Amino acid sequence: MRHARILFDGRELDITIDGQDRITTSEGEQLDVSLDSDQITWLPPVKEPGTIFALGINYADHATELAFEPPKEPLVFIKHANTLTGHKQVSYRPDNIDYQHYECELVAVIGKSGKNIKREDALDYVAGYTVCNDFAIRDYLENYYRPNLRVKSRDSLLPMGPWIVDTADIPDANALKLTTTVNGKLTQDGSTKDMIFDVPFIIEYLSKIMTLNPGDMICTGTPHGIVDCQPGDTIVCSIEDVCSLETRMVSEQEYYGDNY
Amino acid sequence: MTKKTLVNSKLICVALNDKKQLAALEGTFNEAPYKKPPTQPVLYYKPRNTWNTDGATIEWAKDFSGQAVESMVVGASLGVVLGKETCRVSPEEALQYVGGYTLVGDFSLPEESYYRPDIKGKCLDTTAPVGPEIVPADKISNPDALTVTLSVKGEEKSRFDLSQMERSVAELISKISYIMTLQPGEIIAVGFAGDRVPVAQGDQVEASIEGVGTLKNTLGGA
Repeated sequence: MRHARILFDGRELDITIDGQDRITTSEGEQLDVSLDSDQITWLPPVKEPGTIFALGINYADHATELAFEPPKEPLVFIKHANTLTGHKQVSYRPDNIDYQHYECELVAVIGKSGKNIKREDALDYVAGYTVCNDFAIRDYLENYYRPNLRVKSRDSLLPMGPWIVDTADIPDANALKLTTTVNGKLTQDGSTKDMIFDVPFIIEYLSKIMTLNPGDMICTGTPHGIVDCQPGDTIVCSIEDVCSLETRMVSEQEYYGDNY
Repeated sequence: MTKKTLVNSKLICVALNDKKQLAALEGTFNEAPYKKPPTQPVLYYKPRNTWNTDGATIEWAKDFSGQAVESMVVGASLGVVLGKETCRVSPEEALQYVGGYTLVGDFSLPEESYYRPDIKGKCLDTTAPVGPEIVPADKISNPDALTVTLSVKGEEKSRFDLSQMERSVAELISKISYIMTLQPGEIIAVGFAGDRVPVAQGDQVEASIEGVGTLKNTLGGA
């Protein structure tokens, strides 16, 4: 089963989507609308977002691409809900920068509180999986708590969704094809099998430090194949059996409007 | 995640905002891995599992083998509580967005490196007490003129005049509001004395700012 949050017909709805793509609301109402309809506005799929953990250089080939040694322990940074946006929404490119790239990532959504969780029990704490695009602006990188908040905590730069797939429906989260297209052209073609630290490892690691809570999210990093994105570009991040996340890039001025 | 926390949705801390500390570390910051001193505020989050309250016990941290860690430290900061949505504001108008002021304690492992996000050191459960209350913004005419003191077992260990901050409260609100839209109830801990104060299991710690209050906590593990 898949779970999402949408705006439809003026209402904010928690929905489930079955194997035949039929939509049912949490009230039990069936919606007569197809998943690709423009009548649906997709919201970020986690209803009460908690702490968002993201991993840097968690694929060996991406580490090489960035001229880093693969890490000996996870490189984790934190993000908050201001960065979230949904499927088919916009993300912005700041003015006067040279290099902003997408990062297609598998996301594990925590469903149960826990501390000191063992690897072998870790998936009991995962409600499901979704896809995110953890955009980065390389111009803003500084070597202080890198990747710093100016790079990774900007509004709208973590599209997520469109839905969460139940953990039970993904028998092996480390055997999924992961691709990104920009304006229809394939730019990233990898597999979650190349992750350095997998979801159970990361859960064991983080939960030795702190309590994980429902609504926390773990974005697991991206493989090789990043390219610069410009306003007007349409970026689609896809992970096999999970979902495809579409994002349109806009300028800073278009995004902030009157606040620009 | 404590029920009565005063924090709504986000607690942002500013590191390396003590002029004296920055000057002392200048040589280090010109070398690897930093290569050059920071050009922007150095920020980190205390996530929701860290949020705690006045009077509460701070858990003594355990290492990865489950043993009590050898040392922990504490810093204290003025907490600036946003009063309304704050998006891309100038330093001149920034203080109009402040709803109130409070104190933030940041208990952590000793700060050994600023190169990577310090999840192991800073994200420990219960290590960010906030309180004792939120004092309305109009009670504080100039936040940059305040002094933060920190005492352990009744003895003053640190005194930090906010006039010694590299960036003022207004400048920080402005800079951060160009990174992210801030929401009412979100808190910025604007600056800590560069020298964090060592603490031991069972210690009573008090952070004070005249006119804002005294935040009292006890280290667990004793």
